[in-house]
Amino acid sequence: MRIEKCFFCSGPVYPGHGMMFVRNDCKVFRFCRSKCHRNFKKKRNPRKTRWTKAFRKSAGKELTVDNSLEFEKRRCIPVKYNRELWNKTVEAMKRVEAIKQKRSARFIMNRLKKGKELEKAEAINEVKKNIHLIKAPHAGDSKKLEEKMVQKLAEDVEMDE
Amino acid sequence: MVVPTAKDFIDVTLSKTQRKTPTVIHKHYQIHRIRHFYMRKVKFTQQNYHDRLTQILTDFPKLDDIHPFYADLMNVLYDKDHYKLALGQINIAKNLIDNVAKDYVRLMKYGDSLYRCKQLKRAALGRMCTILKRQKQSLEYLEQVRQHLSRLPTIDPNTRTLLLCGYPNVGKSSFINKVTRADVEVQPYAFTTKSLFVGHMDYKYLRWQVVDTPGILDHPLEERNTIEMQAITALAHLRAAVLYVMDPSEQCGHTLSQQFELFSNIRPLFANKPLIIVANKCDVKKISELSEENQACDKLLAHRVDSKMKGKKVHDVLNRLHLAVPAKRDQKERPPFIPEGALLRRKAMEVDVPKRKLEKDLELELGDDYTLDLQKYWDLMNADEKTDKIPEIWEGHNIADYIDPEIMKRLSELEKEEELREQAGEYDSDEESEDEEMQEIRKLASQIREKRKLKILESKEKDVHGPRLPRTARKVERATLEKEMGDLGLDMGDKDDSHYVQQGRSRSLVRKRKREASAPPTSRTRSQSASRPPRDKSGIRDAKMMKKSKTMMKNSQKGMNRQGKKGEADRHVFNLKPKHLLAGKRKSGSTSRR
Repeated sequence: MRIEKCFFCSGPVYPGHGMMFVRNDCKVFRFCRSKCHRNFKKKRNPRKTRWTKAFRKSAGKELTVDNSLEFEKRRCIPVKYNRELWNKTVEAMKRVEAIKQKRSARFIMNRLKKGKELEKAEAINEVKKNIHLIKAPHAGDSKKLEEKMVQKLAEDVEMDE
Repeated sequence: MVVPTAKDFIDVTLSKTQRKTPTVIHKHYQIHRIRHFYMRKVKFTQQNYHDRLTQILTDFPKLDDIHPFYADLMNVLYDKDHYKLALGQINIAKNLIDNVAKDYVRLMKYGDSLYRCKQLKRAALGRMCTILKRQKQSLEYLEQVRQHLSRLPTIDPNTRTLLLCGYPNVGKSSFINKVTRADVEVQPYAFTTKSLFVGHMDYKYLRWQVVDTPGILDHPLEERNTIEMQAITALAHLRAAVLYVMDPSEQCGHTLSQQFELFSNIRPLFANKPLIIVANKCDVKKISELSEENQACDKLLAHRVDSKMKGKKVHDVLNRLHLAVPAKRDQKERPPFIPEGALLRRKAMEVDVPKRKLEKDLELELGDDYTLDLQKYWDLMNADEKTDKIPEIWEGHNIADYIDPEIMKRLSELEKEEELREQAGEYDSDEESEDEEMQEIRKLASQIREKRKLKILESKEKDVHGPRLPRTARKVERATLEKEMGDLGLDMGDKDDSHYVQQGRSRSLVRKRKREASAPPTSRTRSQSASRPPRDKSGIRDAKMMKKSKTMMKNSQKGMNRQGKKGEADRHVFNLKPKHLLAGKRKSGSTSRR
């Protein structure tokens, strides 16, 4: 029993779920749900359908090359069962999974950082151009003038004294 | 191929002509075309007849070309003369048809109208069909001959044959039924067998034909009927061993002496053929009949071999025959090779040693408790792990994908790398320490965006489609103006003296209007509209300018008035498709457009 990968969205297909299609050239396609199956029948390219993992990886939105991703791989040569190896593997799996998640999260965060800078620049630009919608150019002028005059008077008074 | 009846033949050919040649012709076509059309039909019909008749002629065998046995047989059955005549008639008919076609095609060349050509064609076709109608008898006869001919037994005149002859009812057919797989009718009455029958048997790894003939009666050749003649023909032409069957018990209805007489009469036919006299029906009357057939076959075989050896061809064959045997090169023994495993197995089979305990035995022992546990046969490094439950899946991942003998090493490497990265500070969450200024800016930016959206919504809600009044037509309320400017940050407190405030006019008491014709408002009354100059006088200095403006106005309106338009915006077309532009032929002149 194994969890397969959906051909279209690259999601997990648990046993008892989904559909399998075998083409005349003996290539096998597994689908996790009818959404993927229907998209496939419509001949849509998963690398161009934005919500699939294939798109995300090919468009560089997710971590693709990394050591932690090399652990999960289908091997051609089977290994004989050996209890301690299996135990160790299970523990290693947990550890590898943790590292993998940390790294892919970091990758996505780095990608989104650039957006923050752009946002900043945009805000500054916006304020520069459209400040007149909130504040009139001469908004605080009279007050300032008054204050100035008050200050001047005070200075004069001081000078007089 | 079937020989058709005359009627069918004609029908088929004529319908074929109609189907396979073109059918449409008009009298206004060119004459050579009409002629060709009808000539084609005539020639087509002639061709068909010719082909079919030729086929019939070639399919029927020529009596001179076939084996004399068959030629004689056919003569006996169908009468040589009649046969030849029939075929001759067919040949004549064929030639006649050809001639007819030739003549009419020649005549057609001088046909000058459709009607004449058509009549010629009708005549030609008619004549051809009449010729064929006259052949009705011949065609019927030939069809019968063909059917009978196809049912004749295939007797190979050149191979080993045994020929059974004798009086009717002596037991020839019974003999052939016994000896071969043939199924000839056997009945108590004479002349049950009316024609030749063939059976095949095997002797000394060779195939033999056994030919059963109808019985022969004792009278001179000229008086013999067709059935007997068949037997005679067979006797005459087939090089076979003759088995003259006699019936000592006289059950056939003829005495022994009569049979002997017949024998001596036919004797000349037995020249050059091994002869056996068979005394049949020995169960009725015993005369020892020792495997007569074997003797007959041996005799014939010997006869044949003799004749062959005398032939010259044998020597050529003998020269080429040579049996090759490999010569021994040394005295070493070379027995056949049997592998050890095979020897062991052979021994085991012989000794019958009990093998290891089978699953089946185990199942029988345990009965209901038996469970098929193939895991116990696994070949693992530690034998006690055979009964382990192996995990397969963890949290959406297959454990089998991670199994690797070197996984711990790779994991340690990975962990080291991870540590390095952490130390380098990759995973530190960078706090965005924004200064106050930036926060201010952000706040202002969000306010700006909000304000813009509101304005957009407002303008959408106004819902003014169509002609709009200018902004200045609407009066601006003082309160709204001051509120707006106040929101923008300006000080709108003390603005009673500003220019935008309307000076309130002192109003005199309004008198109640009496029911009199009230005087229309003059230029200096309270209505505001009167204070403005009328539109045709606004902006005009003097009468001269007024006059000029009026002439300008009239000038601009002249063209429209002449065309009957309501105004400058009237683009109505009264006549979209004027006839004088669209009717008529395109002549020299402008043909580039309509």
